[in-house]
Amino acid sequence: MIPLTVHSHFSLMHSTIACLELCEQARKLGHATIGLTDINNLYGLWNFLNACREHAIRPIIGAELRTAGQRVFCLVKNKDGYQNLCRLVTDRHCRPDFSPAAVSADRLQGLILITADTALLTTWREQELDIAAAIVDRPTQAGSSLRNAAHRLGIPATAIADVFFLHKQEYQAHKLLRAIALNTSLSRLPAAKTASPQSYLATAGEYKRRFQVWPEVIRNSHAIAERCSFQGPQFGLVLPPFNNKTPAEADALLRRAAFSGAKKRYGDQLPQAVINRLEHELQVIAAMGFSSYFLVVRDIVRPVARTCGRGSGAASLVAYCLRITNVCPIKYNLYFERFLNPGRTDAPDIDIDFAWDERDMVLQSVFEKYGCRVAMVCNHVTLQPRMAIRETAKVFGLPAYEINRVTKQLSGLRHGPGQGKNDLLSQLKKMESLRGHSFEKPWPEILHQAERIIGAPRNLSVHPGGVIITPDPVTDYVPVEYAAKGVPVIQWEKDGAEKAGLIKIDLLGNRSLGVIRDAVAEVRNNATPFNEDRWLPEDDPKTQQMVRTGRTMGCFYIESPAMRLLQKKADRGDFESLVIHSSIIRPAANEFIREYLRRLHGGSWQPLHPLIAETLNETFGIMVYQEDVSRVAVQLGFSPAEADRLRKIMSKKDKEKQLIDFRDRFFAAAADKGMKQQIAEKIWEMMMSFSGYSFCKPHSASYARVSFQAAYLKAHFPAEFMAAVISNQGGYYSTFAYLSEARRIGLQIQPPDVNGSRISWSGSGQQLRVGLMAVRHLSAHASRRIIQERTKEKYSSMLEFLQRVCPADDETRALIHAGALDSLAQATDTNTDTKSLRPGLLYQLAHWRQTRSPAGGRLFPPRLQVPIFPPQDPQERLRNEYRSLGFLCSIHPILLFDEYRKELNTVQARDLPKFAGKRKRIRFLGWPIAGKVVGTKSGRPMEFLTFEDETDQVECTFFPETYHRFCRLLHAKGPLLLEGIVEQDFGASTLTVAQAQPVPGIKASREEVPSVL
Amino acid sequence: MERKIIHLNVADFSVAVERLVDRSLITRPLIIAPQVARARVYDMSEEAYQDGVRKGMSLARARNRCRRAVILPPTPERYEKAISCCFRHALPFTPQVERAPGSGHLYLDVTGTHRLFGPAPDIGWRIRKTMRRDLGLNPIWSVGPSKLVAKVASRVVKPAGEYIVAEGEEQSFLAPLPLSLLPTVGHDIENCLREVGIRRIAQAAALSRQDLYLLCGRRVETLYQALRGIDLSPVHPPAEVGKHFFFQHYFSPDSNREEIIQTAVLDLARQAARSLRRHGMCCCRIGVTLTYSDTVKVTRQVVCKHPATNDRELEQLAVTGLFRCWRRRVRVRTFELVCMRVSPYVQQLSLFQDINKKQQKQKELEDAIDVLHQRFGTSALTRGMTKE
Repeated sequence: MIPLTVHSHFSLMHSTIACLELCEQARKLGHATIGLTDINNLYGLWNFLNACREHAIRPIIGAELRTAGQRVFCLVKNKDGYQNLCRLVTDRHCRPDFSPAAVSADRLQGLILITADTALLTTWREQELDIAAAIVDRPTQAGSSLRNAAHRLGIPATAIADVFFLHKQEYQAHKLLRAIALNTSLSRLPAAKTASPQSYLATAGEYKRRFQVWPEVIRNSHAIAERCSFQGPQFGLVLPPFNNKTPAEADALLRRAAFSGAKKRYGDQLPQAVINRLEHELQVIAAMGFSSYFLVVRDIVRPVARTCGRGSGAASLVAYCLRITNVCPIKYNLYFERFLNPGRTDAPDIDIDFAWDERDMVLQSVFEKYGCRVAMVCNHVTLQPRMAIRETAKVFGLPAYEINRVTKQLSGLRHGPGQGKNDLLSQLKKMESLRGHSFEKPWPEILHQAERIIGAPRNLSVHPGGVIITPDPVTDYVPVEYAAKGVPVIQWEKDGAEKAGLIKIDLLGNRSLGVIRDAVAEVRNNATPFNEDRWLPEDDPKTQQMVRTGRTMGCFYIESPAMRLLQKKADRGDFESLVIHSSIIRPAANEFIREYLRRLHGGSWQPLHPLIAETLNETFGIMVYQEDVSRVAVQLGFSPAEADRLRKIMSKKDKEKQLIDFRDRFFAAAADKGMKQQIAEKIWEMMMSFSGYSFCKPHSASYARVSFQAAYLKAHFPAEFMAAVISNQGGYYSTFAYLSEARRIGLQIQPPDVNGSRISWSGSGQQLRVGLMAVRHLSAHASRRIIQERTKEKYSSMLEFLQRVCPADDETRALIHAGALDSLAQATDTNTDTKSLRPGLLYQLAHWRQTRSPAGGRLFPPRLQVPIFPPQDPQERLRNEYRSLGFLCSIHPILLFDEYRKELNTVQARDLPKFAGKRKRIRFLGWPIAGKVVGTKSGRPMEFLTFEDETDQVECTFFPETYHRFCRLLHAKGPLLLEGIVEQDFGASTLTVAQAQPVPGIKASREEVPSVL
Repeated sequence: MERKIIHLNVADFSVAVERLVDRSLITRPLIIAPQVARARVYDMSEEAYQDGVRKGMSLARARNRCRRAVILPPTPERYEKAISCCFRHALPFTPQVERAPGSGHLYLDVTGTHRLFGPAPDIGWRIRKTMRRDLGLNPIWSVGPSKLVAKVASRVVKPAGEYIVAEGEEQSFLAPLPLSLLPTVGHDIENCLREVGIRRIAQAAALSRQDLYLLCGRRVETLYQALRGIDLSPVHPPAEVGKHFFFQHYFSPDSNREEIIQTAVLDLARQAARSLRRHGMCCCRIGVTLTYSDTVKVTRQVVCKHPATNDRELEQLAVTGLFRCWRRRVRVRTFELVCMRVSPYVQQLSLFQDINKKQQKQKELEDAIDVLHQRFGTSALTRGMTKE
């Protein structure tokens, strides 16, 4: 029998079967053909086709259309059937009233429809469709009636293997998935909502035994399989059309647009280099049929003032002239062939960043323009270890706090096929952060069960920016459904879309573009002229100095501790160096960074081999950019297409298998070129440092441009810039840390004030005003109302404020504690400190609440007379302020420990470099603001943490031994007393910590408010 | 007449009882908790408390905080026996003895017993002396004009000692104390007052009723009086009626398996039915309370048209109540069942021969089972379906 209706784990939360395992097992069991019918989707189409190719299985493509009361298995016979299936699946998702019975006959052509519903079979028989009756799993009484009905109707009855798991013992995992999906426990899971325990993939022999009383149903399954000849869609490259222009018209249009744009960029007299490059690019673009693609992207970008075209597309001069990108590829020597070359068979894409809050508007305009021919790409969200453990523990009934105690400590946990014999329990037991956790019952069982479902897709999400535009309706290519946020998404991930030939345009949101936009607007708002047309931040000495010294907190892409440290060590502030630095700083390249710094500071070096000397000359003989991999491979004899594939494989997650093949070919090619094995190994090792993520040069250059713009604004307009950084949120650091930075660069912090603050933060001169958005619990609606009412007239008293704004109770409390209502407190003769009058404001709030509530309404409402409250404890006031804002406006909280610092003779952060190289152990009291756990070569965890005090920041290293001892203290809020030795490397100082301890008498706390306050 | 209330409190009662049984435990920190997976701390000694162990904490965590502690399973029957002994030691001085919630607390109203037993402090001394001598327990005792003041006085001297507050001294006694010592002040009221800078009882007592009402909302009258040491609640001697119709099952380990929970619920329902029949009572409503492991509590009631007294009726009511409460998948820690609208069972005999034979047979069967249970204990005969 042919298993025609197997469900893979893309039947979300129903099946446990991965496509690759399915084909492997099918091959073992002797099945040469497999039909995949996932429930209402084609999510796994490309995974299935690949797996079939790998294991020489003939695929049958299909889907199960499941509605409340009906199941219909649709198998694709031909191309028409595939298109119809895509439309059917789309309708199933997009039409709430979808019913198979209501679908017209022409929409069911090219499909074989198999169902157990007699009424449907009767209707379809009359319409002369290709149908069969489904006898599911085994002969039963119901099956017998259906078989008789099929006989009456003159249609075949076929045996159906309703497969949801590969082996009998996986039934438990199936039940677990169902319990997770239905939000219930295993013991309360209704039997009707699960598959039968027999729903595993059996051998053909077993199916034969099961159906031995009705042998013809087995034969019919073979006959059906024979009729399904469709082997998968083959669209070629699907490029978006430009206003229904023919390719020749599009080529001409693009040429005109490119040259016209070039004149705006370079002046009317175009340099010969520009003309040559444009001609070359236009020729390649036209030859590959990409002209319309460029024009479509230009149309998307044109209405938006501030964008950042990035990725390999930034290497194109045409894109630069069309203002899709902003970095001149000629000036910065960007390699066009990295983006487009005649040998490239896969689909290149253009990535464009928009300000994060403008991106949705751009998308909306694209949807309006292209209608049913546009959709976004989806992501298949799979159960990762943390989510699998969390969901399984919920099914086992553990309360949230117990689950959190484990799952919140799992950062860095990787679990997958590569983990070998290390099961989840033993992995967790080895984790430093879970040291001391007993894992008593039922945790072993939970972890064992969770392990079985890791990797199963759970739901669809929307890709951050991938959009596809097709010449015909998208549903002709792939089923479409609507995401929760209301946008249409295709059912494939980006890899699937790429395999299908659908070209993706990435329209992404970028916080920093919003920061730059807002900072510039604020500068202009403060009556300072700012001309962006002649803005060359790369050439500004003050900006270069800031970049060189790594004082770039808040600046796009160069604000992380690692990047700032690299800038300090390199001691370079020019654009070209920044392009190198933003590319070389990647996870697996640490030792190459050190070597780069050595060579940069004048250390001698020789190219690894004369063949690659010229290619890597610009970067001191070290591979820095992604395209260096392909360029070096080409030098060794790879074809450009092969070299490009090698580069691409490096960034994939499941690359090991494919890399083995490339490795052998690489070493063979190196030997052919007379390269020594030792040298070849060094080059290969350098190539491997690009695994994970890495950037190409055009991408780095595009980013560096935005980084320089941000750095310029910080250098010249710090208040406006810091206000924009904090208001746009989403930076590397917390608001707390940005505020400390603002203090350090000389800004004065003004507390929030309902009579003075805007919703966002504002800056002018040396003043930074906290925005109302910083007040926790204050809703956006209340903030808007406060501003709205204030524009009419300023607030003069607390009661007036309450009556005009009518805020919720918790919102007002938060405003009071944040100090936003201090200006409304009535100072008395004896007490002029408005901060100490906050209890009185709370009393007025309580009074107002009681008098306005219907239940508390009285004929004679109580007269407002604020009692005299005892003086508020300053610590208590600060604690409330911290709770409400997440920081203190008046001081850095570490100043509360001045006595303690004096007592212990600690060193301040700005004085730390004085102790560099003295090998003297010093003490430093620091407030943690950022941290990153990394693994050593031997796999032991260690952590880089950034601490600060009121004077500066200190980068601290906790090597494995120290990390092991103190890791439990490191993520508590509040200061830590650190002891260690200051080390210096290329002029940058770091503290190597030997000992850490919380401040005595103050409990280290993981709560929202550190117990210090 | 001047009220004299004595509050007796054996600190860490279950620990004290266990130490009586095994004297070697006196010098070691002790945690009382069932020794099963996912157990919670039932009680702990002062040493364990100092190490950070708290009631209700998971045993695994408690073990981490106090590694040197000895862990013993709770023995409720032993504690019940011990508190009954304490109760008997108090009874000779007054019939007005109340067993307060929480083991180890007794209130004695000794108002007007001066001529018989001397002043109230003497009674306190004598009870402590006899309890020390006879039981080996060393209770804190305090005398006050109300239960509230006496209890606060005990809290002041905890874990050992005595305190006497005379009538008229309540306010001056309470004034400097932190608000958290006052039994009527919960976390919510404490937080409300702390927000406006009030931390001590005297500061709160300075507020008018109106101000307190504005700041703390409901229950302001009780608070207002408590802040002044006024508590007119009487000492309640233990009531006989009612306690027989409250049943509780503690799941250890906690569970969310339907068969386990339903079995326990059915068992409680049968216990309730048996108890009702034994007292010749019936009930028209049952209340069920289910507490999940994350301390979320859900209470529901089920009413029946006819008074219920047999197993099947109570089982049906209990299961209905269970499924009304049980909506989450978090594990269940306790299930409580209480019979309400309890009244004497009166069977209206029929004038005619239309007795439901099935019901009659059922009743005869239950009567026979009751006899067997009385004679041989409830474990001698159980229904097959209650077996796990």
